[in-house]
Amino acid sequence: MNEKPLLELNNLSKIFPVKGGKKVHAVNNVSLTLNKGETLGIVGESGCGKSTMGRTILKIYEPTSGQILFHGEDITKLSRKQMLPYRKKMQMIFQDPYASLNPRFTIGDIIEEPMIIHKIGTPEERKAKVQDLIETVGLKPDHIRRYPHEFSGGQRQRIGIARTLTLQPDFIVCDEPISALDVSIQAQIINLLEKIQRETGISYLFIAHDLGMVHHISHKIGVMYLGNLVEYGSSDDIYKSPLHPYTKALISAAPIPDPNQSRAKSRIILEGEVPSPLNPPPGCAFAGRCAYATEECRREKPEMVDFEGRKVACFLYKAGKKVK
Amino acid sequence: MSLLEIKGLTTEFKTSQGIVKAIRGIDYTLEKGEILGIVGESGSGKSVGMLSLMGLLAENGSVVEGTINFDGEDITPSGLDTKKKKRAYEARMRAIRGNDIGMIFQDPMSFLNPIITIGKQMTEGILCHEKISKKQAEKRAVELMNMVGIPSPESRLKQYPYEFSGGMRQRIIIAIALACNPKLIIADEPTTALDVTVQAQILELIKNLTKKTETGVIMITHDLGVVASMCDRISIMYGGNIMEEGTTDEIFYEPKHPYTKGLLNSISNNEGDKKEPLKPIPGTPPDLLKLKKGCPFTARCSEAMEICQDYNPLKTEFTKSHKCNCWLYCKDRYKEVLEGEEAHE
Repeated sequence: MNEKPLLELNNLSKIFPVKGGKKVHAVNNVSLTLNKGETLGIVGESGCGKSTMGRTILKIYEPTSGQILFHGEDITKLSRKQMLPYRKKMQMIFQDPYASLNPRFTIGDIIEEPMIIHKIGTPEERKAKVQDLIETVGLKPDHIRRYPHEFSGGQRQRIGIARTLTLQPDFIVCDEPISALDVSIQAQIINLLEKIQRETGISYLFIAHDLGMVHHISHKIGVMYLGNLVEYGSSDDIYKSPLHPYTKALISAAPIPDPNQSRAKSRIILEGEVPSPLNPPPGCAFAGRCAYATEECRREKPEMVDFEGRKVACFLYKAGKKVK
Repeated sequence: MSLLEIKGLTTEFKTSQGIVKAIRGIDYTLEKGEILGIVGESGSGKSVGMLSLMGLLAENGSVVEGTINFDGEDITPSGLDTKKKKRAYEARMRAIRGNDIGMIFQDPMSFLNPIITIGKQMTEGILCHEKISKKQAEKRAVELMNMVGIPSPESRLKQYPYEFSGGMRQRIIIAIALACNPKLIIADEPTTALDVTVQAQILELIKNLTKKTETGVIMITHDLGVVASMCDRISIMYGGNIMEEGTTDEIFYEPKHPYTKGLLNSISNNEGDKKEPLKPIPGTPPDLLKLKKGCPFTARCSEAMEICQDYNPLKTEFTKSHKCNCWLYCKDRYKEVLEGEEAHE
């Protein structure tokens, strides 16, 4: 496969300046690739920079350094106007289905709006497209004239999905699309996203903190901690045999909905909490909570190395072999 | 005798659009040192049941039926028709809340008062319920903070909530709930607002502390993973009814109710073949305003029968602990219901 990946990030960083001349390193030298028709899951705890990364890729935030290649073209430095043709191809589904829909627009208006902005089709064509999408996401045609407040969380999330699909994008950033929904509804939305992917070959960047769901939907998973990518590899590898101590702890901490497995499992309970990104420790960001941390970890930042077909940033693994 | 016995509890809310029956005749029992998980989606009535028990319902809510028996005492908030009775009930509940029953709420960010020091907030309850000096109360607060794993508690007492992280605040809230050695702790989604690694810490803490002190715990949550690792018994709620109850193993390995089965199917099973699609429950949870008689799950149930629409199912006992409210298991008993209704008319 010599096809160019859909999305490539090279050492992408986003730094927010804050009062007093300090800087928050929200995203730190992240390099990732996402192939066509695949899903890349990003997991990490709150404040690890996963949402900021999603937004920086869409250039909602201006990247501080690094490179974003979309279909092989560098979009890092493009102005708002130059971005416009690319915007059609990249969309976003938001976490909170209650805040992301305009309460004064009908469902039809909400779904049609992107086409008006991008001047696509005649009004009749647009209406037909809206009808079409409403059915794709599993809502009823007569819902078009209703307002967001008349819908439940799961239905609103379907409306959000229909809106992102209007412009036939190649790539959607899903920022915690299911965490505000009830358990029985989450599976509906995941199945819908998977069905759309099978039918259109769309790619997702799926940001979430629920590892079980991310493992289910993703082909590859990237694990982030305090703005850094600490491990990146195929979904099964990461979930079944995690390498980085943080990934291990994260997977072990996730409660399993099975009492016997839950009793049999020895939990790694991490001490402490994520340090502030304002004063990140000089070495490995995870060193303060890591059971294997050495002097080296506290002093220097580990580089991303290739290890058994995936990438991991930890001094325990030095290019190709495990230390100790 | 059980620590807590709730029988046939029904709570209603008067709203501008009509009366909402938030819970409809639920039964719970809880023994000392036991952890009971109450699982349900939003609007299933899992929190309202607990608020009824605590006497913390909003102005427009009231318990219309049923009894609540806590530690041998009847604390049902019904029949409070005179001001005197109401006042007596309120006074009694004030003495119980925070003393015999501790509470852990969902959001550690909004539970604590931002302009009062942690020390004051921790000693407030102790001073209110016990006749001890401020010094002694502070000593107790320090012990509690040690118990829940907060480093250097003496200096932390003088700090304000904003100086604590989310996980630390949740530890403080647990410490406050434990302050007067309660017999029962009600934890309403105690870890939903926390990160996974912190959630694991907090769950471990609640489990260890309550086993040590023989406190009964009611854990309200929507996370099946949390109940699997924490609870001895589980009650599954839907649309204001208890659909199924049993030990954790019974619920997970021998689910009877179609809703319980649906819930367990809709979470991803990562051990099996992962590319198998998830099996969600179709439809959405019911609108309690529009809910009529019959089983609330009928509209989404794959096994629904005609009778489900019209009559609420009877309780079927599979084992002493495992009970399920579904017509599938009591088809032959529908006559009882019909006769009962005729007799009623």
